[in-house]
Amino acid sequence: MSQPNRLASGGLIDRTRPLAFTFDGRTYSGHPGDTLASALLANGVTLVGRSFKYHRPRGVLTAGSEEPNALVELRTGARREPNVKATVAELYAGLEASSQNRFPSLAFDLLAVNQLASPVFVAGFYYKTFMWPAKLWEKLYEPLIRRAAGLGRAAEAADPDPYEKTTAHCDVLVIGGGPAGLAAALAAGRTGARVILADEDFALGGRLIAERRELGGQSAARWADEAEAELANLPEVTVLRRTSVLGAYDGGVYGAVERVSDHLREPAPHQPRQRFWRIVAKRAVLAAGALERPIAFGGNDTPGVMFAGAVRAYLNRYGVAPGRRAVVYANNDDAARTVADLNAAGCELVAVVDARGDSPALHAAARTAGALLVFGGAVARAYGGQSVKGCEIVDARGGSFNVACDLVAVSGGWNPTIHLTTHLGGRPQWRDDLAAFAPGGTPPGMTVVGAAAGAFGLGEALAAGAQAGAEAANDCGFSGGTFDPPRADDDSGETRGLGPWRVPAKRGKAFVDFQNDVTVKDVELAAREGFRSVEHLKRYTTLGMATDQGKTANVLGLALMAEITGRSIPATGLTLTRPPFTPVALGALGGAHRAKEFKPTRLPPSHFWAEEQGAVFVETGLWMRAAYFPRAGETDWLETTIREVETVRTKVGVYDASTLGKIDVQGADAGAFLDHVYINTFSTMPIGKARYGLMLREDGIAMDDGTVARLGETHYYVTTSTAHAASVMRHLEYCRQWLFPHLDVHLSSITDQWAKYAIAGPRSRDVVAALADDGFDVSDAGLPYLGVKELTVCGGTRARLFRLSFSGEMAFELAVPARYGDALIRAIMAAGEPFGICPYGAEALSVMRIEKGHAAAAELNGQTTAADLGLGGMMSKKKDCIGKVLSQREGLADPARPRLVGFKPVDRSQRLRGGAHFVPRGAAVTAANDEGYMTSVAYSPSNGCWVGLGFLARGQERIGEIVRAVDPVRDGDVEVEVVAPVFVDPEGVRVRG
Amino acid sequence: MAEPLVARSALRPHVAPHASAAGAHGVTLREVENLTLASVAALRGREAELVQAVRAAYGLDLPTGPARVASGKVAFVGAGPGKWLAVSSAPTEFSTLPAAVADQSDGRTVLRVSGPKARETLATLIQLDLHPRTFGPGDAAMTHAASIAVHLWQVDDAPTYEIATFRTFAATLWRWIVEAGQARGLDARAED
Amino acid sequence: MRIPCPYCGVRGLDEFAYLGDATLIRPDPAAPGAEAAFHDYVYLRDNPAGLHRELWQHASGCQSWLVVTRDTRTHAIGRVEVARDVAAARGSGAE
Repeated sequence: MSQPNRLASGGLIDRTRPLAFTFDGRTYSGHPGDTLASALLANGVTLVGRSFKYHRPRGVLTAGSEEPNALVELRTGARREPNVKATVAELYAGLEASSQNRFPSLAFDLLAVNQLASPVFVAGFYYKTFMWPAKLWEKLYEPLIRRAAGLGRAAEAADPDPYEKTTAHCDVLVIGGGPAGLAAALAAGRTGARVILADEDFALGGRLIAERRELGGQSAARWADEAEAELANLPEVTVLRRTSVLGAYDGGVYGAVERVSDHLREPAPHQPRQRFWRIVAKRAVLAAGALERPIAFGGNDTPGVMFAGAVRAYLNRYGVAPGRRAVVYANNDDAARTVADLNAAGCELVAVVDARGDSPALHAAARTAGALLVFGGAVARAYGGQSVKGCEIVDARGGSFNVACDLVAVSGGWNPTIHLTTHLGGRPQWRDDLAAFAPGGTPPGMTVVGAAAGAFGLGEALAAGAQAGAEAANDCGFSGGTFDPPRADDDSGETRGLGPWRVPAKRGKAFVDFQNDVTVKDVELAAREGFRSVEHLKRYTTLGMATDQGKTANVLGLALMAEITGRSIPATGLTLTRPPFTPVALGALGGAHRAKEFKPTRLPPSHFWAEEQGAVFVETGLWMRAAYFPRAGETDWLETTIREVETVRTKVGVYDASTLGKIDVQGADAGAFLDHVYINTFSTMPIGKARYGLMLREDGIAMDDGTVARLGETHYYVTTSTAHAASVMRHLEYCRQWLFPHLDVHLSSITDQWAKYAIAGPRSRDVVAALADDGFDVSDAGLPYLGVKELTVCGGTRARLFRLSFSGEMAFELAVPARYGDALIRAIMAAGEPFGICPYGAEALSVMRIEKGHAAAAELNGQTTAADLGLGGMMSKKKDCIGKVLSQREGLADPARPRLVGFKPVDRSQRLRGGAHFVPRGAAVTAANDEGYMTSVAYSPSNGCWVGLGFLARGQERIGEIVRAVDPVRDGDVEVEVVAPVFVDPEGVRVRG
Repeated sequence: MAEPLVARSALRPHVAPHASAAGAHGVTLREVENLTLASVAALRGREAELVQAVRAAYGLDLPTGPARVASGKVAFVGAGPGKWLAVSSAPTEFSTLPAAVADQSDGRTVLRVSGPKARETLATLIQLDLHPRTFGPGDAAMTHAASIAVHLWQVDDAPTYEIATFRTFAATLWRWIVEAGQARGLDARAED
Repeated sequence: MRIPCPYCGVRGLDEFAYLGDATLIRPDPAAPGAEAAFHDYVYLRDNPAGLHRELWQHASGCQSWLVVTRDTRTHAIGRVEVARDVAAARGSGAE
């Protein structure tokens, strides 16, 4: 397996180890230290993809994460990942990559005919072409566009790899491991400060390993190696390679993704594929370097056209010649290094085209290389289709000629990588001296150094980095430790690349945004059609809206718009960038907590017992609750639920009520406090009693209900609904701390402390009697309805017994410390066995509470008042409470408001639906005739038909009336009779006695 | 009369799996059972009385911030302004203190996480800075572990952390620590 | 965003629950015009560009409600006070 473009020597690759990999099914060979891009180039593969819109052949433009062209699909099957940049994909043995967005093959792409139709596909074509008829959009246009345009294919199976999220704290975060970043990390690290150095590359050094430079008398790459070795030995320094810092957030928080296993075939056992870092830094040093920018000339996207800096990276870091016959086209002196490095690597320099006048640096380099020097000229066009075969050069006098070449190295100047400085609203500043945007404001605590700050010289980058690192550490209270930057060899002169931004095109498309196929013509069109603001330009042409967020495109596009409209660049504007700096896998953002582990699961005390019984569970918020307990032979949930309800109504059943929120309230003012938050009064309730309570929001709407029991003079026990437990606790703390700070009252959540079982049914007293220790009087005299007592059960376990009922039957709630909860459910079942006990689940509970007309979450739905719920009479007239004043305002006190009533189908065989709306019989089904809605429905075994609860206008006055319950979504239209909202034991006899 | 009730942990292997990595253990995970726990809040105007009572009964000065003080089997851990979590490894009657006292012995499950990789493991769940420069033995904090409310304190320099969580969340927290610890030499099982 | 809780120390935004304007004082329900006053208290809010005193709860920490001074333009956190102390000092509340 030959690598025809691999240089005979040089590069930071391990030539002793070949790595076999495949691209589009063909096998190639590379080495450790290669990226997929460098390995492909070494093998002479220059065509690696097709463009988004026109399916143009595309090659490798850059050597970094800004790459817009060389996007591939990596891996296969469930691990297939689209839009991987070949320029950052680290080579490993067995890597499988394929080109994307081509049909049927990369070299022969039928959809390249899009190019011929390109007048149709100009900027704004979506808006213009597919405006109407609208109904064709879904069936015709969208599938068509999706096939023709687009990037890679996501995997169709679930990602098998784990991801992890973690948090790190540090004194100094250094972003970027190039010369400035290494200097900053060393200077800060030597003080003993906690330092994190993050670099997106797998090797530290940045441009140090991409250039032939000297530092302190040795090669720059060698110096970077030594710096990395020293950092590794500093105990408080953490070096994160393969880690992209994606965003800057308030409070010194930075987000980063570490590609832990992307360079492996698959992750080692238990190792995450990627790790998301939340980094909390007191100070940050941004040393993110700079990105080269293109010049817009015809065919500037042809494979073989490459940034001049990237050419050096391939030559020096990877030992790869991206071409053998090169033309260098630049508007700045930095490209002189490319000329020199190509020459040193033995490549032929066909021509050096300096867009400026004669400049000494490029002139000298060209002369040394023996290249034709064209100053004041331009490359007007590159040609060759799938790879560059030559280019047309225009000289200063306007004459043009063609030269044969297989590489065009382009430099339109450098843009400081300032993205992170803008994430908190910092506005970049245009600097004429750099012909680029430099950081304006920065996030608090951030210092920008090196090329990212517009200091392009190596010596100044090292010095600024060292100073910033030391200052950042000093700010965090660390001193000592000195770092003198090494002496750098001289920097070439002018890196300012002010134009030309484009070459007047004779033929061929001149691309601005390579990934989104935006050309100079598109920008011109946008200007002609009035989309001159940068924000309009972006949206109209999609400039900068691809996965690379226009890293190579934005400034060029902006400059073109400035030129076309005759304005300056700063007057034309700037689009700010947002996180993330590079695309992030959703898996990394999710971390370990996905699927069933997305949220915690709360297991009530009877859970393991319920599992043994074969219960079917339902998630209620975070809780896993038993929905019903099927028995052999039962065929569906309804059959089981009916049996459970009938057992409770005729014998006895047991339900795990532990999920209700439980709050311990103590203090001299506990009663007064509860009077403030509930509509009814608890300060006068006797010890040993419990009562239903309703609390309102301050706007007068019902918030939550529950029971309040008085355990002692200054001691209450409050329950909340399962769903609102956390929000009620927050509300009560708000009332306690903020509204009523002078009250002596203390709240403690004891939800998890107690296992609590509702034992309900005519035989419930027998079951409780069998559990209570000797001497406890379970008779109605001993514990009347709404009574509360402490006792011991099962031979000494302390317990609390509440005579409360949600089912409408005689019922007790028996609570023991949670560690005994598992044993207690077994004891209850054993004690109840002679009485025919069965466990019942949330379904049966729901049926029974509807049969009794008890409000639940569907009725306490954030729109209903105490009066709406039929609980207006509970509101104490003697005291204020939260929500009382506004509950009396006109709109909420309107007697015409929908009130809670019950419903039965006129035809008793018909089913009711929750969510149905009520309209009068004979009236049209219109919003104007809407009189309310059904909130809860259930099949009632006690009634032998479906029953429902709902809110009907003036409902309390309309008992006996027949209305329609209309459910247009499910084609439901049922006549229902308005009834009192109690379907079982309306006199409430059963709960007593 | 019914059989006496048997106490059970909230953790069972099928929801809180055991794991033991080969080789040296980077992090160990255990449940600390049979603790007596109580939330203790100072009554208004009687704060000094509580301080005195705790000093008299246990020889401890209640911490004013998020810290843990311990003597013998009893410890008090700061739980907010005027609030503490009382912890004892022996049966202790905290309810006699002149304070609002609520038994939490069953309301919390306490997990012990220890070993050289304990910090790294916990960092995947807890966003606190547990670096020894900022958090050491005697320090305590209330926070969340990937949304699960926890109250944790450091016991020694191993480092060992004890993490109190609501009992019904304990199995999930155990699983999540196991998930994070798998790559870090985890040993997770019941106390010997 | 990170907020320094006076009891717990500096913690991330994810530990806090936001409520809103801390300069609003619950009106006297017995005073004349209480309904109008409550209407304003519940519904009317200023939306300042700049410093804003607002209520947050350290919900994943010590449960303290806090009065946080935040610059709405920059999210810079200024003073953080314990809400109960602020409320007690101004003598609000029913008693």
